[in-house]
Amino acid sequence: MSTAVRTINFTLNGTPVTADVKAHHNVVEMLQTQFALTGARESCGQGLCGCCTVLVDGRAVSGCLYLAVFLDGADVVTVESLAASGRLDPVQEAFIECGAFQCGYCTPGFILMAKALLEQTNDPDDEQIRDYLAGNLCRCAAYPEIVNAVKLAARKNKAGSTGSS
Amino acid sequence: MIPFDLVEPTSLTEAIALIDPRDPDVRPIAGGSALMLMMKAGVFRPRRLVSLRKLGDGFARITVTPGGDLKIGAMTPLSAIEHSPEVLRHAPVIARTMRRLSNVRVRNIATVGGALAHADPHMDLPPVLIALDASISVAGRSGERSMAVEDLLTGYYETALAKNELITEVRIPAQAATRAVYFKVTAGSADDWPALGVAVALRAEGATVKSARIVVGAATTKAARLLAAEKALIGQTADDATLKKLADVAADEADILADVRGSASYKRELLRVYAVRAVRAAMQASGAPH
Amino acid sequence: MANSNPSAAQAGHQVGRSLPRLEAREKVTGRAEYTHLMQLPGMLHAKIFRSTVAHGRIKSVDTSEARKSPGVYGVYTGDDIRKVIPDPYYGPAFHDQPILAIDKVHFVGEPVAVVLATDPHIADQAVQQIVADYEELPAVFDEVEAAANKVLVHDELKPAGTFADLKHLKGRKGTNIALDFRLRRGDVDKAFISAAQVFEHTFRTQKVLHMALEPYASIADYRDDGVTVHSGAQGPSFVRTEIARLLGWPENRVRVKVPYLGGGYGGKLYIKMEALAVALSMLARRPVKVALTMEEQFYTITKHPSTFRIKSGLDKDGKIVARKCEVWWNGGAYADVGPRVTQKSGFTASGPYDIDNVSIDSYALYTNLTPAGALRGFGIPQLVWAYESHTDMIARALNRDPLEFRKQNLLREGRPQATGTILKDAAIEKVLDRIAERLNWKQQFDHGQGVVRRGRGLAIALKAVISPTTSVAIVNIAGDGSTTLYCGTVDMGQGSDTAMAQMVGEVLDMPAESVRVVPRDTDVTPYDMGTLGSRSLFHMGHAVRLAAEEARDKIAALRRELGEPAGSNAPLGDLFRKKYGMQAGNIVGTGIYKPDYIPPDGSGLTTNATPFWMVAGNGVELEVDTETGLVRITRLINVADVGKPINPKIVETQLSGASLMQLGFSMFEKMHLDGGQITNASLADYKIPGINDVPPVMQNETVDTTQENGPFGAKGVGELATFGVSPAIANAIDDAIGVRLTELPLTAEAVLRALRAKDNKPLGEE
Repeated sequence: MSTAVRTINFTLNGTPVTADVKAHHNVVEMLQTQFALTGARESCGQGLCGCCTVLVDGRAVSGCLYLAVFLDGADVVTVESLAASGRLDPVQEAFIECGAFQCGYCTPGFILMAKALLEQTNDPDDEQIRDYLAGNLCRCAAYPEIVNAVKLAARKNKAGSTGSS
Repeated sequence: MIPFDLVEPTSLTEAIALIDPRDPDVRPIAGGSALMLMMKAGVFRPRRLVSLRKLGDGFARITVTPGGDLKIGAMTPLSAIEHSPEVLRHAPVIARTMRRLSNVRVRNIATVGGALAHADPHMDLPPVLIALDASISVAGRSGERSMAVEDLLTGYYETALAKNELITEVRIPAQAATRAVYFKVTAGSADDWPALGVAVALRAEGATVKSARIVVGAATTKAARLLAAEKALIGQTADDATLKKLADVAADEADILADVRGSASYKRELLRVYAVRAVRAAMQASGAPH
Repeated sequence: MANSNPSAAQAGHQVGRSLPRLEAREKVTGRAEYTHLMQLPGMLHAKIFRSTVAHGRIKSVDTSEARKSPGVYGVYTGDDIRKVIPDPYYGPAFHDQPILAIDKVHFVGEPVAVVLATDPHIADQAVQQIVADYEELPAVFDEVEAAANKVLVHDELKPAGTFADLKHLKGRKGTNIALDFRLRRGDVDKAFISAAQVFEHTFRTQKVLHMALEPYASIADYRDDGVTVHSGAQGPSFVRTEIARLLGWPENRVRVKVPYLGGGYGGKLYIKMEALAVALSMLARRPVKVALTMEEQFYTITKHPSTFRIKSGLDKDGKIVARKCEVWWNGGAYADVGPRVTQKSGFTASGPYDIDNVSIDSYALYTNLTPAGALRGFGIPQLVWAYESHTDMIARALNRDPLEFRKQNLLREGRPQATGTILKDAAIEKVLDRIAERLNWKQQFDHGQGVVRRGRGLAIALKAVISPTTSVAIVNIAGDGSTTLYCGTVDMGQGSDTAMAQMVGEVLDMPAESVRVVPRDTDVTPYDMGTLGSRSLFHMGHAVRLAAEEARDKIAALRRELGEPAGSNAPLGDLFRKKYGMQAGNIVGTGIYKPDYIPPDGSGLTTNATPFWMVAGNGVELEVDTETGLVRITRLINVADVGKPINPKIVETQLSGASLMQLGFSMFEKMHLDGGQITNASLADYKIPGINDVPPVMQNETVDTTQENGPFGAKGVGELATFGVSPAIANAIDDAIGVRLTELPLTAEAVLRALRAKDNKPLGEE
């Protein structure tokens, strides 16, 4: 049985990087053990809770079900990219202003999903927001605040807010 | 998860050659969602995975033939199907079904070929495709063949494919005047797996049903047409008496399984109710008077 | 007393502000620390081999193949644990739970052996190679059946000695009853005989679990002179004392560090993976991380399933004159905090009603299932499920308005509650009236006539906060005047750090945002009984207030010492520089709070059962599809008495979140059990509420009251909105379609079955 290590090259939060991975490693464990990025977390392990959300080539995927080797050549974005310069992204600001989290474990996943949604639809209505986020779970049940946060983020984007530190 | 070998062929022939049909520890991997779940659960312990991701964009295209048939490459992600203008025009029931199919992240990764080959009886897509009379093209060592989706699914997570056969394309014939609906009934949380799925595609002339395909999913070992229920409907008007008979025939005909989502008797009741609601909805979509 | 700092001139009042949580930035940037995500250098990963039988004698555990696997550091069983911890049994009430199974296994999923490896995948694979052989023994799964003591879970009971009233159980054999709480007020038997009408019903609740999105995780780093435990623990002080006890060490050699918790809800209390991590680190002589998967949470701790038989006697005017309560709590294989749940919830089992004759018997039962412990509500939701359904059923049977019937019997200020403690600062009627108002209860309600019927229901509940408990806090002011708070309350998303900072800021006249609240670390943060049962805002709030007040008094003394003129507002930094000649020194204030309490006598009676009452209720409007049984909740109203909210926005989200969690427990969550096996141990088959389960209209509010003896007039909120959700829904279903469900969850199938049974067209059984 081969346990060969493969070298992959990809872009991580805008920076070209390299990683040595085994075929059975998933994206979340690679990000945590090799890049010390813990925003994406494996929780349910079945792609149902969204805590492991990362963006690959602009699309939201479940990192816990995505083999790291498949990232070769891809553009990967994690939640850590959003406030890289120290200024919070409008989505992050909106989550804070609306109190859209409690324990915070699911929050990075929701924030990335919200960003992906707003890229696709810049002024989603309630139904669109709920359908898009239906695959993200929050056991603290901050859902009503999360829906408000997405709407606020849409308004901030429209107003051209560039975030604050 | 146990370590495994990953090979990444760049052609269909190469991929097929790499899968030894006698070796249960070698499997093709498309999007990977279903396979990753099985590997993490320990249900499947691969020695080798044959990735289909580098077989080329040709397998991820959505096209329409001059006759109006929809052709979808097997490696097309479900999200591409969800947002495709061609699908919206030629088979809008698919676009509608996608909105609550699994979740956005799964739809971004799962491929239509992978979904069909996995044959999970709870999925939303297979009953819809069967209702639309869809077929698939399959490539194997001895060449290509095609079959109806309805014949592909043979049992609980079982298909008519040989281990080294790969779905290459899904084909949905032009629907003309046929209108289709899909009802996904979740009995637990709102976004649970369905306790029952009912797909109905029918063509009406005035108030008379000229053709109908009625398909049940999620509550049975595989998505299946309810032929007796179809017979009870074809040639009739969808009045209360016909629909009551339809409900009884459908509930009798389907081979319902109990699970955590409901007992068999309860799901039978759901089928009784939703077979009628689905037919009514399809009739309404057909513009039939009622 | 609204605030203790009338001259909050500079910073303005800090309590009553809806400021965003202090840790917001960390959480939205993904940088907040959680144990499950932590790595320590040289760390080994542990993977657990678990029992596949519900009850059995361990004949052998063959770890030979696992040991030989390349990359495996070691494989350990209960025998290995005993080499380093001779008496490896733990628990808050009973020392009955072994770190790894010894001699017997008592539930499916019980940890039997552990593999350590640097690569968790290798550890996982090696676990698959362990083979255990059990002599299966008869098992018992139902709480009422367990009470008959025909099949025994344990050969002998092992009370911990933490509860004075459990000492008599030591060495007791031949029983599954871990604790029986008994309350007798007046004479129910006599009252039932003379009652005009008697009603009796039985209600049941199912096994559900917390399902925090961060599964249980502990990392232990054992050294010969001390051990550090990193854990997502709600009670770091308890972990410290319990680990010290297991090791035979003084407390100050055990350090427990708690980062943020990815959810707690009562599950991360007492000992979960900490003792195992410590024992393994002792054996391996390296740091060891025990981090569970989502599936393994089903084998760790759950909520108590329950059976509650409740009987009420009424006089001819409809006044409830007697209520008899018998409650059986399904505690699973190990007691955990079940006995406390059984006893403390017992105080209010008869509900917020003024009843002269009350009899309560509450039994904690052992069964061969995953242990049950504290889950948001601590037994109260199960009790309210029964008494608010029962009370509603009586009203309907008498053709009385459910609201008016409740008001006729409601417990009011100044009256004795069932324990004999006088009710004070418990706005029961105010809360009930507000729910009714929001539901437009006095208005005609359209129940509909077609396939879809509509209904509405309400429920009102009372809880006695657990007592007596102790909290200690330290406020430390540095040489530049910046202030740090050290307190052991664990912020698991309920906003405790923010609330405590607000209280410090209120006393010391500084913005809450300027107060640094240190992460929990028992080397630094002082004793706290635990973050549970909605106790922290009150108890730790008092300790924090007292600590801040002592610091404030010391500041005043320093000003006087330095000859500052009266009323001087010279900045603190200036005072320190004046005293020490430079930026140096500290002012430290300590606060310790423990309320008075009188333990119940042999009849469960006491005049001081609790330092504060918790009052909340819920109202529901819903639709029922009579062809399918599917229920759609259209409005959910949550009203509570929290005294004066310290942070109104956080209070609102606590009400909302609690009610939505309870919604899942009410409508669809259930651990499916088959002969002790859990058949749906994953998120795929055990569903929790998602965004589309939120009712379209939700209203969360608090009534205008003051908790006179509370810090700044406040008291806790975390559990309140769970209490009445289940019966409010069942009452609304009854209102809509005239069927009464007495078991949770209220699934569509259960509704349809009840409807069909009522119409004499029952569904088949399969």
